[in-house]
Amino acid sequence: MLATLKGLVTTLAWAFRKPVTAQYPKQHLPIQPRYMGFPALLWDDTAGEPFCTGCMVCVRECPTQCMKAEMKDNPLQQEGKSHRRKIIERFEINWNRCILCGICVEVCNFDAIEMSHVHELGGYARAGSRVTLQELLKYGREFQERSGWKPSNPEKNVAGVALAKEKEKRQPAAAASRSEPASSNPSPGKES
Amino acid sequence: MTTEKQQETVELLLNMGPQHPATHGVFRMVLWIDGERVVDVEPHIGYLHRGSEKLCEGESYAQIVTLFDRLDYIANFNNELVVCRAAEKLMGVEVPERAQYIRVILCELNRIASHLLFYGTYGLDAGAMTPVLYAFRERERIQNLFEAVSGARMMHNFFRIGGVNEDVPPDFGQRVRRIMGELRRGMEECDRLLSFNEIFLSRTRGIGAIDAETAIDYGLTGPNLRACGVPYDVRKDDPYEVYDRLEFDVPVAEHGDCWDRYWLRVQEMYQSLHIVEQCLEQMPEGPVMAQLRRIARPPKGEVFVHCENPRGDLGVYLVSDGGPKPYRVKVRPPSFCSLMPLKHLMRGCYVADCVVILGSIDIVLGEVDR
Amino acid sequence: MIGREVALAAAGLVALFVGLSVVVLSLVWLERKFLGRLQGRIGPMRVGPFGLLQPVADAVKLILKEDVVPAWADKGLFWIAPILMFVPSFMVWVTIPFSRDLVIRNLDMGLFYFIAVSVVSVVGLVMAGWSSASKYAILGGLRSAAQLVSYEIPVIMAVLGVVMLAGSMNLLTVVDKQASVPYILVQPLGLAVFLIAGVAEVGRTPFDIYPAESEIVGGPFVEYSGAHWAIFFLAEYINTFVVALLVTLLFLGGWQWPHLPGVWAPVVVLVKTYLVVMVIFWFRATFPRLRIDQLMAFGWQVLIPLSFVNIVLTGIQLYYRWPSWSLSLMSLGIILAMAYWQYRTQTAPAQALARSYSQRAYSQRRGA
Repeated sequence: MLATLKGLVTTLAWAFRKPVTAQYPKQHLPIQPRYMGFPALLWDDTAGEPFCTGCMVCVRECPTQCMKAEMKDNPLQQEGKSHRRKIIERFEINWNRCILCGICVEVCNFDAIEMSHVHELGGYARAGSRVTLQELLKYGREFQERSGWKPSNPEKNVAGVALAKEKEKRQPAAAASRSEPASSNPSPGKES
Repeated sequence: MTTEKQQETVELLLNMGPQHPATHGVFRMVLWIDGERVVDVEPHIGYLHRGSEKLCEGESYAQIVTLFDRLDYIANFNNELVVCRAAEKLMGVEVPERAQYIRVILCELNRIASHLLFYGTYGLDAGAMTPVLYAFRERERIQNLFEAVSGARMMHNFFRIGGVNEDVPPDFGQRVRRIMGELRRGMEECDRLLSFNEIFLSRTRGIGAIDAETAIDYGLTGPNLRACGVPYDVRKDDPYEVYDRLEFDVPVAEHGDCWDRYWLRVQEMYQSLHIVEQCLEQMPEGPVMAQLRRIARPPKGEVFVHCENPRGDLGVYLVSDGGPKPYRVKVRPPSFCSLMPLKHLMRGCYVADCVVILGSIDIVLGEVDR
Repeated sequence: MIGREVALAAAGLVALFVGLSVVVLSLVWLERKFLGRLQGRIGPMRVGPFGLLQPVADAVKLILKEDVVPAWADKGLFWIAPILMFVPSFMVWVTIPFSRDLVIRNLDMGLFYFIAVSVVSVVGLVMAGWSSASKYAILGGLRSAAQLVSYEIPVIMAVLGVVMLAGSMNLLTVVDKQASVPYILVQPLGLAVFLIAGVAEVGRTPFDIYPAESEIVGGPFVEYSGAHWAIFFLAEYINTFVVALLVTLLFLGGWQWPHLPGVWAPVVVLVKTYLVVMVIFWFRATFPRLRIDQLMAFGWQVLIPLSFVNIVLTGIQLYYRWPSWSLSLMSLGIILAMAYWQYRTQTAPAQALARSYSQRAYSQRRGA
């Protein structure tokens, strides 16, 4: 009976305390900066093009094969505005298959993909979960603006920085983007 | 019903599950009952079978971690640790100390989260509604911390072969210390609510008892085995990571009944807090990832690694043919072994006890069925 | 003259039905809200201010839902069972007073009528269990029969104690006799027995054995859906309210409240009743469920003897004309003795065991 009374007091005490419930759609709990939402593609403002070169590393490494990518020759590179020789032409992520593991971000050598904070995707139909390049870039730019994302390897990946560096060295712009994925390079930091 | 020549009584065959609120997922028990007494029980598993072991053979080592996240989906970090350690052992990698401490902290917090979930659902099994909500409230603090560290609340994919994905955020220590105080208070509250409640005692004391020898015969491990009085804990008997530098007790009970298993888990939560405290003090600065090639290619060979999961001794037997994908991965799941003595435990008990017994051995179907 | 009587009775019935619906809706809301607060939640919030319209939305949903009848069910019984459960819980209201005048029919044998009628609901439960052609439902129906029949006895015995004190089975008289001292002070043991047995009678936690959700997933109600389930639901909440109301009338002094004019009588009764209902909800938030054999053992081995002791004590006090505080002292003594006995037999061994386990914890590494 003693423990019973103790239990009764324990529950009654909560009647006078503040409830812990957060009223979800009205009140959003803060998202942690490292939160892994659905992957999105990032936008290189200095060149006005995506970071992604369509190198297919993420497509190969994805445990659920949720991505498709296609590359093309980069027109901006010919104009001298970018150091990327190849650029993404088509990209598709099936968000229904994505398991939010973050492996694609880890393997990407071009700072091109990032786990955005997009996570509220409830809907009434399955259609629309195959996200195209434009939408991915849109989500990516939102993420960039909101989180103040910074590339982990700007010298190699940001067109403006890379071109300036190349100019310094008086070398043709194309050389930088030829560097193959460095295998000894530990995983690029996801955080800014 | 037509009138028969003579009356005949037969046992009632009762299908409990796979859709049943108390089977903790999709587990099916076929009960033969005589009134309220259980005459015999036939467990059926496999409703959640995803072929994880086979899938592992087609995935690279980095991808396997995501599969292991989904085995025991309540103790994700503990599962990741096992597979990472297996590959590390095969490759002979020395994991940086800081990474080891981070792993231990996260694993122990995950143990608390898992036991809190057990506490909540066990209360629910016994018919109490509140424990589950109190337990989830406390568990939420841990999940939030996990989100801050790994970016995900459950399927973290944070441990890597050779370390962890990235260093913990700078305010990690502070945050852990803060939630530890809150957790301790919350756990004490939970303790007050349920542990010695007379109804709960009468529901669980002496129910589903199993003695030490039978338990060993059936291959029980973890809290279920320690409840029978066998002091066996992988963290003590085959220390991994930095457990040999930490000071902690392993609670051991005696009777092996439902209440003992429950009590043991509650005590383990306090011990886990103790471990986390020590880890925070001892944690050195330094790298969190060993220098490795980008794609792990363990040499040809085989290895068995086991760790103390919240549910018991999770083992991984890994065979490598030298390629980027394992040749064979075999998992020794503690939940599966905990289900083994089900017949032994349930014969002769009441229907209501079945639920309590099944709850007390704390299975996770993701791990049973793999 | 007769026409007027009939019209009055009809009006009373309509008022009762409307009133009961309001009561049930308020109870549903109160339960969800109060349970939520006890559990650190906030309960329903979205429908109406403070979620006040949530039970209405629930009711609409239940009525609009498809009423599924299992193919193998005994259809006739299946349809009658909810009615059989609902009618008694409706009928008891005939004699329950809210004030000296606010009662449909004041019966001299009011308490007897109440007990006799409320027992009928067990038939509905068993019928529902049998006719559903579901094993869980059958188990639940049989459990409900065992439970309700055995807990009827302590209810009657506890009521008898009050009847002895009041010298009447008329609820008006019982309440009037409590003008100076409510019977809760005189007969705490009787109240304890009545409340526990009453909670068991309506099948609420910790005695929700027959609908046990985690074991037999709703017991007799498992196959019901839509409006029929709603009737069960309605009956359950009305029964809970009736038990609380009887506690109010029998032990808490009904509409008696010092220095309050008679106009306030129904309000006083309602406030007291809702407080008792909240205690029942509070039990639900705190306790696990008993097992069926433990429930029966508790009923037959503890509650029934206790209720007999209560009657004997009351008889002794009445016979020797001891002051009434002697009865309260004796009652309290017995409650404390029971508590101590339980502590010695149950809690203390468990605590000792827990302590010994803590000492057994092993900290040194084996073989090192």
